[in-house]
Amino acid sequence: MQLSHNPTASGAFYNISAALAVASAALIATPAQADWFEDDAGWQLDTALLYYGEDGARITAVEGKIQAVRTNADDGALSMALTLDALTGASATGAVAQQQAQTFTRPSGRGEYTTAAGDTPLDDSFQDTRLQLNLGWRQPINARWEYDIASHLSKEYDYLSLGLSGGATYYWNKKNSALRVGASLFYDTIEPEGAIPLPLAQMPIRADYPSEQAFVEAFNATRGNSSDNKRTAEISLGLTQVINRATVMQFNYSYAQVDGYQTDPFKLVSVIDQTGTALRQLYESRPDQRSKHALFWQTKIHLGGPVLDTSYRLMTDDWGIDSHTLDLRFDYRFDKGHYLEPHLRYYRQSAADFYRPFLLEGASRPQYATADYRLAEMTTYTVGLKYGFPVGRSQQASLRLEYYVQTPEGDTGPGQLQSLDLYPQIKALMAQISYRF
Amino acid sequence: MIPTLIRHKDHWQGHFVAMASDCELLIDPCPQPLAQQLLEQACRIATGIEHKYSRYRRDNVWAQLHRSRGTKITLDPETTRLLHFAQTCFELSDGMFDITSGLLRQIWPFNADGAPPTQQQIDALLPRIGWQRVQLHGDQFLLPWGMELDFGGIGKEYAVDKTAAQMAQIAPELSVLVNFGGDIALSRPRAKPWQIGISPAGSEPALLQRLSIRHGALATSGSTQRFLLHNNIRYSHLLNANTGWATHGGPAQLTVAGRSCLQAGLLSSLALLHGADAEAFIQAQAVPYWLTP
Repeated sequence: MQLSHNPTASGAFYNISAALAVASAALIATPAQADWFEDDAGWQLDTALLYYGEDGARITAVEGKIQAVRTNADDGALSMALTLDALTGASATGAVAQQQAQTFTRPSGRGEYTTAAGDTPLDDSFQDTRLQLNLGWRQPINARWEYDIASHLSKEYDYLSLGLSGGATYYWNKKNSALRVGASLFYDTIEPEGAIPLPLAQMPIRADYPSEQAFVEAFNATRGNSSDNKRTAEISLGLTQVINRATVMQFNYSYAQVDGYQTDPFKLVSVIDQTGTALRQLYESRPDQRSKHALFWQTKIHLGGPVLDTSYRLMTDDWGIDSHTLDLRFDYRFDKGHYLEPHLRYYRQSAADFYRPFLLEGASRPQYATADYRLAEMTTYTVGLKYGFPVGRSQQASLRLEYYVQTPEGDTGPGQLQSLDLYPQIKALMAQISYRF
Repeated sequence: MIPTLIRHKDHWQGHFVAMASDCELLIDPCPQPLAQQLLEQACRIATGIEHKYSRYRRDNVWAQLHRSRGTKITLDPETTRLLHFAQTCFELSDGMFDITSGLLRQIWPFNADGAPPTQQQIDALLPRIGWQRVQLHGDQFLLPWGMELDFGGIGKEYAVDKTAAQMAQIAPELSVLVNFGGDIALSRPRAKPWQIGISPAGSEPALLQRLSIRHGALATSGSTQRFLLHNNIRYSHLLNANTGWATHGGPAQLTVAGRSCLQAGLLSSLALLHGADAEAFIQAQAVPYWLTP
């Protein structure tokens, strides 16, 4: 052992740390551990594969996600997440079902599709792959302050979303209280196949025109810009409070202002007569401004073994949509790292002010109208169970199975619509496998 | 006190009291009997070291060493290793750190309204202090009359390292964080760092420092509680064995990361013994550190 003192760059003092490390190792006679400095940081990897399937030829989605978090010795953390989802299937266009078959022009203007009598019109060309990238950085400044910044990129065939967010968290009361102020900005661009339809323009049908040329001209007349965009600005305020050894509570408030194109270029509204027969289809139209307020409250309680996690979210916007989400999870811990987590979720929303399951011929035409079931009054229930178990010496895996029922509601229409299901229930099954390294 | 074991979402937490400190284990998820075994073993090691080297017992190794002052005795293997380590610390610190300096506590009152001793009082004690006066050859040891050993400066850190090593032997696949009153070591590196808060007992919450530890050890020296304030000089309870004076002018508290708790502990103590130069000293050691002014 070299005990002579080696002068260091700082001059005044000798570096004795190596000599002390050797001497202490000899005292304990432990196998040498990795040096603190060699590898100050490490990666934690989470991977998940999700399957989502709606019944009756609706949407099927497969999503793969990989997330890596690197935490440095000073608590700075870098996170990266990559999500890839593939969606196939068909989604309801908003047009009403009819007792006879209906023909629709595809969104691109090239070709048609036919919906059988009694069926909800679905756009079967719905197919997309989405790639999402999220990068985040969080760093404590001192014992009381921490900041975080993140960027977001999401790309689909016809959609691009870019986002930036940041926040500052202040801790006090022995870190039992934390207040975070955050803000985010998003810029989304949509460039749909066949350009953007004009609001409430009538969908031309090939059979109504004498020639292909005349049809193409009519179709082009319904088209506006090839792309459009929307901007979202959000501010949020969150308070996390440790109530006692067993209880943690969180309150969140956020306000978001969305400006720009928020219409779904693939959705339709049917114009019907007194007999409930669809006369024509219009492309839907939504306001280009929306402000949302959201309040969120969550409580986690350790009940000795199990953990009860309840949350409630209230969202209200100036489109007239108010929603309530109630979420309940129970986390039962068993021996050897096994756990079971039953999950119940209830969601209810009111319809948007401009939600119109159909428009009546002869009535004055509104400025905005959508028949998108997602903006209708609806109730959804989710029932799920998650099972987690250890793999190897430090890995964790979990399996999650959830069943989801969505029940939209609305007025029954006149005539033939009375015998048709305008608001079909959607049932979906979700299965997820996740693995943590 | 019976050790208690609590199951958390992703680890076990064990607790017991030994060496006048809260002793804590954080254990990777594992079957409960194994966690229990690790905790009991840690408790046995901590209380074992405390019993063996405590100055307050008459039936232990410490008492035996002092009863046989003036004569050469044969040490047990563990005490041999500890005293050789103490000798290395003495040499590396040029005599500032010395386990024979404990006698100075008799004249240094670290309480609210004490006063530093006079130079005469210190001078009277200094002849009974100094590792250069003891004889240590292999396991043969001679402690002169009038001298006293104090394992306080290395005992807890040693207990932490010994416990961490023992945890690694019992459960080589698990990462166990051993935390005896703020002196910390890991039994093996952990992919996801352990999160710990470091704060001296009774200190202001603002002083709580949240640290992540992935491998190696942490030790903290100094105290925002134990000091002597006299004529606007804040004397730390760390005593310079060369001068007999308590150190002052340095940070209130210094946490150092190292490969072992003993290494980290010695570096932080030695740094504080350098008073106002504490930070310069610790910078020269090229180890991560966190200080409280």
